[in-house]
Amino acid sequence: MSSISKSEKAYIQSSLLSDPPLRADGRGLTDFRTIALESGVAPLANGSARVSIGRNAYDGGGGTEVVAAAKLEVETVGDGEGVDGGRVVCSVSCSPTAYPLLPSNALDDLQHDMTSLLHATLSHPTIRPQNLCILPGKKSWLLNLDVIIFSDAGNVFDAIFMAARAALWDTKVPRTRSVQYRTQKSDRKDATRAMDVDEATHVGSALDTRETVQVSDFELPDYWDEGEPLDGRQIWPVCLTLNLLPTSHFLDATLQEEASVPLKLLVLYSFQSDTTPLLRSMRLLGTGGSDLVQIKSLLKDSEKYARIVWTALEGKLKDEYHSLRKPSF
Amino acid sequence: MPEITILKRPREEAVITQRMFFKKTARGKVMKVLRERYLRDDISCGVNACRACNAAAQTVLPRSGDTTHKLFPTGHYILPDTNVFLAQMDLIESNHFTTPIIVLQTVMEEVRHRSLPLYSRLKALTTTDEQKVWVFYNEFRSETAIVREEDETPNDRNDRGIRKAAQWYNAHLTLAHPPIRGQPNLALPKVVLLTDDFANRQKADNESIPCISVRNYVEGMKNSDQLLDLLSATGSDELEPTRAVAGRTALYTDYLPMSTLLAGVKAGQLHQGHFNANKYNYLEGTVPVSAFTKPVLLVGRENMNRAVQGDVVAVEVFDESEWKAPTDEVIDQDATLKNDDAEDSEEEGDDLMVHEHESKALRTERTKKPPTEKQPTGRVVGIIKRNWRAYVCHIDSTSLTSNNSTSLGLQTVFATPVSRLLPRIRLRTRQAPSLVGHKILVTIDRWDITSRYPEGHFVRALGKAESKEAEQESLLLEFEVPYRPFGKAILDCLPPEGEQWVVPPKSPANPEWRDRVDLRDLIICSIDPPGNIFKTSYKSGTLILGPPGCQDIDDALHARRLTNGNIEAGVHIADVSHFVHPDTAMDNEAAARGTTVYLVDKRIDMLPALLGTNLCSLRPHVERLAFSVIWELTQDAEIVNVRFTKSVIASKAAFEYGEAQLRKDDPKLNDELTQSIRLLNSLAQKLKAKRMAAGALNLASPEVKIHLDSSESSDPVDVEQKALHETNSLVEEFMLLANTSVARQIQESFPQTAVLRRHLPPPHTNFDKLQDILQKRKGLKLDVSSSGALADSLDECVDPKEPAFNTLVRIMATRCMLSAEYFSSGSVSRDTFGHYGLASPIYTHFTSPIRRYADVLVHRQLAAAIGYSPLHPTLHAKMHVERIMDVVNRRHRMAQMASRASVEFYVGLALKGRNERETEVVEDAFVIRTFRNGLGVFVSKLGLEGLVMFKRDTQFDAENYTITVPSSGTGQPDVAISVFDKVTVRIEVEKDKNTQRGRVKMTLVSPVDSRAL
Repeated sequence: MSSISKSEKAYIQSSLLSDPPLRADGRGLTDFRTIALESGVAPLANGSARVSIGRNAYDGGGGTEVVAAAKLEVETVGDGEGVDGGRVVCSVSCSPTAYPLLPSNALDDLQHDMTSLLHATLSHPTIRPQNLCILPGKKSWLLNLDVIIFSDAGNVFDAIFMAARAALWDTKVPRTRSVQYRTQKSDRKDATRAMDVDEATHVGSALDTRETVQVSDFELPDYWDEGEPLDGRQIWPVCLTLNLLPTSHFLDATLQEEASVPLKLLVLYSFQSDTTPLLRSMRLLGTGGSDLVQIKSLLKDSEKYARIVWTALEGKLKDEYHSLRKPSF
Repeated sequence: MPEITILKRPREEAVITQRMFFKKTARGKVMKVLRERYLRDDISCGVNACRACNAAAQTVLPRSGDTTHKLFPTGHYILPDTNVFLAQMDLIESNHFTTPIIVLQTVMEEVRHRSLPLYSRLKALTTTDEQKVWVFYNEFRSETAIVREEDETPNDRNDRGIRKAAQWYNAHLTLAHPPIRGQPNLALPKVVLLTDDFANRQKADNESIPCISVRNYVEGMKNSDQLLDLLSATGSDELEPTRAVAGRTALYTDYLPMSTLLAGVKAGQLHQGHFNANKYNYLEGTVPVSAFTKPVLLVGRENMNRAVQGDVVAVEVFDESEWKAPTDEVIDQDATLKNDDAEDSEEEGDDLMVHEHESKALRTERTKKPPTEKQPTGRVVGIIKRNWRAYVCHIDSTSLTSNNSTSLGLQTVFATPVSRLLPRIRLRTRQAPSLVGHKILVTIDRWDITSRYPEGHFVRALGKAESKEAEQESLLLEFEVPYRPFGKAILDCLPPEGEQWVVPPKSPANPEWRDRVDLRDLIICSIDPPGNIFKTSYKSGTLILGPPGCQDIDDALHARRLTNGNIEAGVHIADVSHFVHPDTAMDNEAAARGTTVYLVDKRIDMLPALLGTNLCSLRPHVERLAFSVIWELTQDAEIVNVRFTKSVIASKAAFEYGEAQLRKDDPKLNDELTQSIRLLNSLAQKLKAKRMAAGALNLASPEVKIHLDSSESSDPVDVEQKALHETNSLVEEFMLLANTSVARQIQESFPQTAVLRRHLPPPHTNFDKLQDILQKRKGLKLDVSSSGALADSLDECVDPKEPAFNTLVRIMATRCMLSAEYFSSGSVSRDTFGHYGLASPIYTHFTSPIRRYADVLVHRQLAAAIGYSPLHPTLHAKMHVERIMDVVNRRHRMAQMASRASVEFYVGLALKGRNERETEVVEDAFVIRTFRNGLGVFVSKLGLEGLVMFKRDTQFDAENYTITVPSSGTGQPDVAISVFDKVTVRIEVEKDKNTQRGRVKMTLVSPVDSRAL
């Protein structure tokens, strides 16, 4: 987003295209800056994470910094927006300090773009966690995933999805127990009834629907328990931004690099164990153009990169999860 | 320079310092709550002069503990587990239980979570001076704070916390008693963990924490004899897997879990309501629920499923085909269950017998009943809230296994509650022989599915049955009337001058005179019931004649002609709010008492007697502070205007009703006072006529006067009905007018929180039965479409041969109505403000602040409305006013029931006296209800309702409310008796041989002698 002059652009482009390619911070084209990840940063949320890319190791400044937090809310199905089985609603907001130069309506547009990508990807029914349902047809959880961008030093989409993924990984759904009341005709012991009333009239009638289980409310069996992790958390996608130059591409662009490439390709993959990854979404951003052949080869490459990111993230999250399992009161 | 240090907590400590929990709100949302916990090292252990703790702390625990227990000769303190407070509160509260107690914060919180009433008792316990109780905030002391471990249930976590605290205390005591050089090591007192949880004791043993079960502990105490009886039946065998309870057959079905009940109620499959036992038939009860107009009927023990009068229960309603009509037979618990044995009533043979008895009792011809009489029928599937309290009981002497009064063996006996609505309670006691013939207080502890009766324990003895003191106290306890004398904090709120207090001389410097109108010169008089009457209720109730000299005059009147031809009339009410300020100890006590309670021989004041009998009594020729309502009325009693003002008055005379009547009617008298009475009287007549025209009801209740000889002997001499004077209604009309005017004013000024009184119109279905009876028996119609129509048709319900018939119908109609209630004007919709009985669109109580708390609030609101004083903030809060109204309504109801019960007791005594003097007491009575095997009768002369039972079967015609009994002489035709028939009954007071419970027994004299039946 930084504005740079034409000559600066040309300089950056030519050095990226030179052989060997040269980047200002000395990275290779497919190298990432250091990524720092911390989960459980917001104690009041049900799950949260902070991701920073390229933070200066010495003073902790600089870099892209994104915080994501998931908060669960009980919704009544069929009452307003509630959906049977639960739903996920995402939003991205940018701290004005992240984009000090943008006027406020441009900032709104940017937020909206980011929100629509995140929401469209994560709220898709195919990846909705199974345990967002509290009472089938009655109550469900609404998962609000809020992402805030504190600063942008390039590659913000990757950071958003990484933070979102880590926050969802960290999310724990409070355990609920459904409580029901069933008319117990059979086990009733009624002294007068046995004498006066003909028992047979009640048994075996197909029209008698009272025996069906009617769950009507839920309770929290353990108030002190954080709950169980979200179901199917491997499936949450990772995002990879390929910055396209006429003959090559590179990853994890800094702001200046982003400003000097005409086209970016966003791909979102979800991996389930070792099977073929699933391309969740793909976006082309920028003024330049591309063709199908190029995209095909790019997708092949991006799958490789994405798997690396996924594996690294998964490993880290597992570590983090085990170290952070804190006992509660 | 002051040194400032910042103690910043590292983030990693969050594990111990933050507590996170989820909360489910009433609206079904789930909230995550995070609380910070600050751990400290300076929380005192509470032991006097503890060297290791902060010396400045106020400590209560004696240094060497309690040394009287056999097992702990070196001294000890007890540290009870939560289950001790939940199950054995009566024990802990006993005056004989003197061991110093350490209450942990964990325990306090668990108790609060489980039972709020027990929690408030525990809170009260921690603040009494009589017992040494120390609350230790173990969750906040760094050494004893614990963190929940993974996979640990909250319960286990709390138990661990309790053990940890016990351990810490024992270690801490060694620091508090450091060895002194040159002296032999002192034996240290111990902190003993008291728990009935077997598992917890085992764990404590492993951690070498001294621990003991409650029973074992009490057995070793020095006064174990008294204390063992206080042990509740719960606890020991529930948590200890020692006694085999299995093998007994379950008599009841298990309750569903609470969450299921609430879910069922929410989904509309179950219904929630208060359980009401039927006082004629112990095997039947009803639960009024909102889903049906008629209450849900519960038939038989199994369907009532251990519900006790007053419990909030969840009921399941059966199919409509199974609905039944209420029984028309009287089934008496004592008679049916005579041979039940308390020790082991669960034995099979016995069980079968009882079962047969009961099922026979239940097997009536219900099915033949017309379908209109059927009502929703169901069964109790769970208890939402138990409302158990201590009940006044008698010991059933036949249930004693040994009558040897010296035997101190533990025996299981039955206690029969005084209230007929309650089941017998089984309890274990060592004092059984000495308790026979006494009134005792018993609490229910539990009711197992295998036990026919609830189990309870003895709390304390009230005294010999039929002794005045025991009867009086049992009445007060039974109706939950707070009767303790006023404490010092309350009496300190009174003016320091006491009886010598007078209105200070008029001067702007005296705050009493601020904004007060000087009405000392007005010809004001008070007209009251005869001097020895405690109180009179205008609408209904009983005149109680007490010893003379304890009179309180809280209202006075005046009237005079104005120059423009109109009349000025004023009502002056003692200015109680001048003495009772909001949010003081006296105010809080009055709010809790709600009303003054009148028993025949005792009055339990709401406010200290100094106010009632002196400072707020508008005695003649004495200056008194008052709150005045002054109207300008036309000749036809139309209000031209009204003003309210604080005033100073000096009443010129105090009349009794009769005196005032004589004075008014004496043509020779023509002084100002008499003229003013005549003026008031003429206005009152017009006001009454207007009220009647508007549709006010003339209701009736049995009215009885009891003469007490003197305050010492206080034996009732006689029972008679009260006389009515024209002047009664004079006072009544002006009080109603004042109340209505004040109600309008405060509702206008405080539309959200005005304290008002309303009387909802009764649902028409309430009158169904009465209408039907009147139609069938007398051919009379009762129009209940409005209060006016009802008033008119009641006037027409006359039997020329029987003047008392009209009163009887009025009494029965009154019983069909709802009771009036106080409410806060913001809490209900505007169109339900009306007072049905008085046919007034708005009403409140203003005229008796000395004996009703609602009036005190109304005085405050009126004072604020006229700008005399600002309104206390609590009276602006809707929630607060609502809460007070709930208490006041409940107290009011209880007070009425208590005085009625007190009258009944005295009527009983009077009857006993008459029975001794005369050969037999025979009175006329009306039949008011017919049963399959008996009659409900009303003796109007005594205001007494009774039951005539027939042992032999009779022909019963439920449709026509008639029973046909064989005639006494042979060969004569059978006699039919129906509702409203006049009969003569013989009244005896009979003592139940077993329980010493006195009861009035009636037998029919004519048309047939029922002794033969």
